Amino acid sequence: MDSVVRLSAVSAVYEGERTPALHNVSLSADRGQMVAIIGPNGAGKTTLLEVINGLLPITEGEVRVLGEQVTPGSHRLRRQIAYLPQDMFFPPATPFLARDVVLMGRFAGIGPFRAPHHKDRQLAMDALTSVGADALSRRPIGRLSGGQQRKVLLARVIARQPRLLLLDEPLTNLDPDAKGEISRLILSIHRQLGLTTLFVSHESGPLLVASERVVTVVAGRIVPDSVEEPLLVKAA
Amino acid sequence: MLGIPLHIVLPTLIGSLLAGMMCSTMGVFVVRMKLSALGFAMSHAAFAGAALGLLLASVDPLWMAMLFAVAAATILGPLSEMSRLDADSIIGAIFPLMMALGLIFLSFAPSAGVGNGALSLLWGSVLGITMSDVYKLAVLAATLVIVLIGFGKEFLAILLDRKLAAASGINTRVHYYLILFLTAIVVALSLQITGGLLIYTLMILPASAAYQLLYDIKKVFLLAPVLGAASALFGFLLSLIADLPIGSSIAVMSTIIFLVSIVLSPKRRRTRFAAQ
Repeated sequence: MDSVVRLSAVSAVYEGERTPALHNVSLSADRGQMVAIIGPNGAGKTTLLEVINGLLPITEGEVRVLGEQVTPGSHRLRRQIAYLPQDMFFPPATPFLARDVVLMGRFAGIGPFRAPHHKDRQLAMDALTSVGADALSRRPIGRLSGGQQRKVLLARVIARQPRLLLLDEPLTNLDPDAKGEISRLILSIHRQLGLTTLFVSHESGPLLVASERVVTVVAGRIVPDSVEEPLLVKAA
Repeated sequence: MLGIPLHIVLPTLIGSLLAGMMCSTMGVFVVRMKLSALGFAMSHAAFAGAALGLLLASVDPLWMAMLFAVAAATILGPLSEMSRLDADSIIGAIFPLMMALGLIFLSFAPSAGVGNGALSLLWGSVLGITMSDVYKLAVLAATLVIVLIGFGKEFLAILLDRKLAAASGINTRVHYYLILFLTAIVVALSLQITGGLLIYTLMILPASAAYQLLYDIKKVFLLAPVLGAASALFGFLLSLIADLPIGSSIAVMSTIIFLVSIVLSPKRRRTRFAAQ
């Protein structure tokens, strides 16, 4: 199978820190796979996602996504990666409409001195419709509930038409109903778009059950053998 | 106009309007990106630079103001970006230093105490603007419009959330520094109108008022320069009528506009949002 993500002996240190947030991590994810990343707080799960999309520079090793080496300057490559950071929540006064938040996901691919094309706007609206949020399109993003905001951000993911999806705690701070709905949406997006999806989660539930692989990160290292062990086998 | 020949007040009127629109437009970035401390430091750096220009006499104070403001942006931008230094620390470190330098330079400047040039750096001057200054402001305004049109999408994405913008493939660092650079130039060129001490109000208050009133960032970018121009126009008129320093008059007017916006703000109401 094609590796969409491949980390080889990667270490990463946050600026001003001495202890590596990731230490000698090797990992790969194939096309269409859903990979769960679990572990205690501060284990390095978010760091793992951030080195994969190049937002955090690595100090050792190599990260490749879609066959290309990832660096902080990999802006073009990042257009193929949809990343939802942890605790992405917009306060009530945020001056952006939901439809614009979705459309902005396509801006990097349009380039300077060009206005969004009709096709871009249509893709954004279609994406909102596909997550059942078309009625929210003209609402300010900050006036939506946590679950509605998450839906809009998932619509943004769809509108971007990525090949790799990275989700950091996508179910945090949602009520049980919203967790179920967002989980189903993520699974639907993953399957319909044929994405490779890596997500960090503390939650048990449909996302973790549907994952083909579960990677456990502890103290910046991947726990040996956790990579190859599917959750259902583990449960059995 | 009010006893002053039109050809004397006209440059100041046009200059005030242009400065009001540009300052408040950049204020939309400064307020949303929480760069207020940086803007504050830049405006005082521009003041210190202009004062040094007056002292040196052979150097145009405007160019020195720009040099100091851009230098402040260049040095403070990365510091602020790294977040190792919080906003209060930046103000605490830079504002007193720049203010002290500016006053020291002014005290040695040949025109200190009597010259309109020296005092206008502090408080602004109705009579301190020439058509040459207006041309420079007009060129800057045109440049600003071109940059905003050219990179508007990228700027909007950054204003929504810088991390989300970076993750989507936008080179946020380049655009961030472009914003800082433009802010520094706008501050430096507008200094003569409002003065170094009060230019900050023209940058922050009209933009903050627009944010109070609207939920759509695109409309904020349209309303903020209108409110900035209104602050400048009414401040200019107040200055002429009451014989007040123009910078202070503009500051008073922009404060009134901001207070009215708070009263009218839909963001303070606990009602459901109605589509605008």
